[in-house]
Amino acid sequence: MTGWLPWAAIAVFTVSYVLIATERIHRVAAALGGAAVMLALGITDAEAAFFSEESGVDWNVVFLLLGMMIIVGVLRQTGVFEYLAIWAVKRARGRPFRVMVLLVLITAVASALLDNVTTVLLVAPVTLLVCERLGVPVVPFLIAEALASNIGGTATLVGDPPNIIIASRGGLSFNDFLSVLAPLVVGLLVVFVGLCRVLFRRAFTYRPARADAVMGLSEREAITDLRLLVKSLVVLTAVMLAFVLHTVLHLEPSVVALLGAGLLVAVSKLPVSDALAEVEWPTLAFFMGLFVMVGGLVHTGVIEKLSEAAAEATEGEMLLTSMVLLWASAALSAIIDNIPYVATMSPIVADLVEAAQGNSGGTDPNVLWWSLALGADLGGNATAVGASANVVILGIAERNRHKISFWEFTKYGLIVAVITVALSVPYLYLRFFAFT
Amino acid sequence: MRARELASEFPTVGLETDALVAARLLADQNLPGLIVVDEHGLPDTILPGTQVLRFALPRYVQDDPKLAAVVDEVTADAFCQALAGTPVRDLLPTKARELPVADGGDTVLEIAALMARARSPVVAVVEHRRLLGAVTLDALLDRILPR
Repeated sequence: MTGWLPWAAIAVFTVSYVLIATERIHRVAAALGGAAVMLALGITDAEAAFFSEESGVDWNVVFLLLGMMIIVGVLRQTGVFEYLAIWAVKRARGRPFRVMVLLVLITAVASALLDNVTTVLLVAPVTLLVCERLGVPVVPFLIAEALASNIGGTATLVGDPPNIIIASRGGLSFNDFLSVLAPLVVGLLVVFVGLCRVLFRRAFTYRPARADAVMGLSEREAITDLRLLVKSLVVLTAVMLAFVLHTVLHLEPSVVALLGAGLLVAVSKLPVSDALAEVEWPTLAFFMGLFVMVGGLVHTGVIEKLSEAAAEATEGEMLLTSMVLLWASAALSAIIDNIPYVATMSPIVADLVEAAQGNSGGTDPNVLWWSLALGADLGGNATAVGASANVVILGIAERNRHKISFWEFTKYGLIVAVITVALSVPYLYLRFFAFT
Repeated sequence: MRARELASEFPTVGLETDALVAARLLADQNLPGLIVVDEHGLPDTILPGTQVLRFALPRYVQDDPKLAAVVDEVTADAFCQALAGTPVRDLLPTKARELPVADGGDTVLEIAALMARARSPVVAVVEHRRLLGAVTLDALLDRILPR
């Protein structure tokens, strides 16, 4: 780390990061602008930015996101989410707490397989309809769904964008996420359901006459194209199986998602514009800009210095490092977007994991990746702006004349975030430290 | 032909008129929209009929049109009850749009250009700070289309 370039890289990165965090300009403009300045100043170059695995755009992340967005775009048009939600509400016979439990579980499972924002976009309108029919306040249901989507999304590699970055940078497979994070998430969901019973207890007034109104909903009407539904579910199942069979097929998740997306677009016979309607091009551009900026820090040796400092500060104490990473990530993700946070932290954690190989007293160094994932994913629940799903829910609620204030969301979210992160501590300890 | 000659008498509503009354006026008189007037009786804005529908229809159905299909017929028939007790003021678009008001001396082409630019099926006609009436889209087309 010599000369002025590292300092210029830090300055450009800091300014861009502040602009992203404060939303003074659109986050895509901030990320792409920062990347452009880094390229223009020679902090990084085209070779490093576009073709290097260490300091360039992580195309695995970009194409995995693109593939899953296309799959979701087609799946959304089948009406399967509306069908499932109304079917579940009718199974609950209109009893408000049972309705909330089923909607929360559907949201969590869907968020584990798809992305959180799409899931809440699909579940929230049904929730508004059902709550209106039941005559119960909709706000607790919407808040519970946002929180559930962030918890459920933690379970898998494709559930939350930070997990996709962590998997790619840490060389972790879909099965690694399933074996380490999914069991914890199942436990967290059980606890979360219990918390909902207490936190939202005033929302569960049962009115038999209103419950009858829910039983009059016809979920079958939501499915307008059964053939498209069958094709979509077959492709989604095949994609999930291919993720799980990574060790047999040797296909990267990004390749699997792209193959699934391509196949679905071909067999669905939908107009390409409809199939690609859910692709969030600004989000993909944001990721690319971020990767180039973080790559600039790697290229100029800044990340290496930070990693050395972090390793010195924690003196190779894996338990301490893991806990600091977990809680600091949760605190930071509560107030800033967890995607740029994880994109920045990933190269540092990668260096720490590499340094700990064979030097960690028998502890699996990957515990640091799991701490980062849990902190970033679960910490997003703490405030109304901590995760994209929260922001989307607030927007939907306001448009439907059920405004949720920042503090109304945060007073529930903070409790859930603290409890779920705290429960991750004994889990990580028992899983990675207690028996080494 | 000038706007004052093309204008015909047209019902108006105030900002505080009940939305259900306004909707009933639209339906009974087969109107594409209504002129909303201020306390001086001058045009404040135009309320298109589709805007009344947008308000009456639950937003979640607009976000997810598939939900319109799952609701039973009895409830579906009653969705306009959301208008009762709501003032017309609440139905107006939040973004201020160009007010489609023509002067009595405007030509047919000027009215057509105004209607197209404001995307309004009704143009109010004002002269000497007095509302003369309105020109509707079908009246305008009837005048300009070749026989």
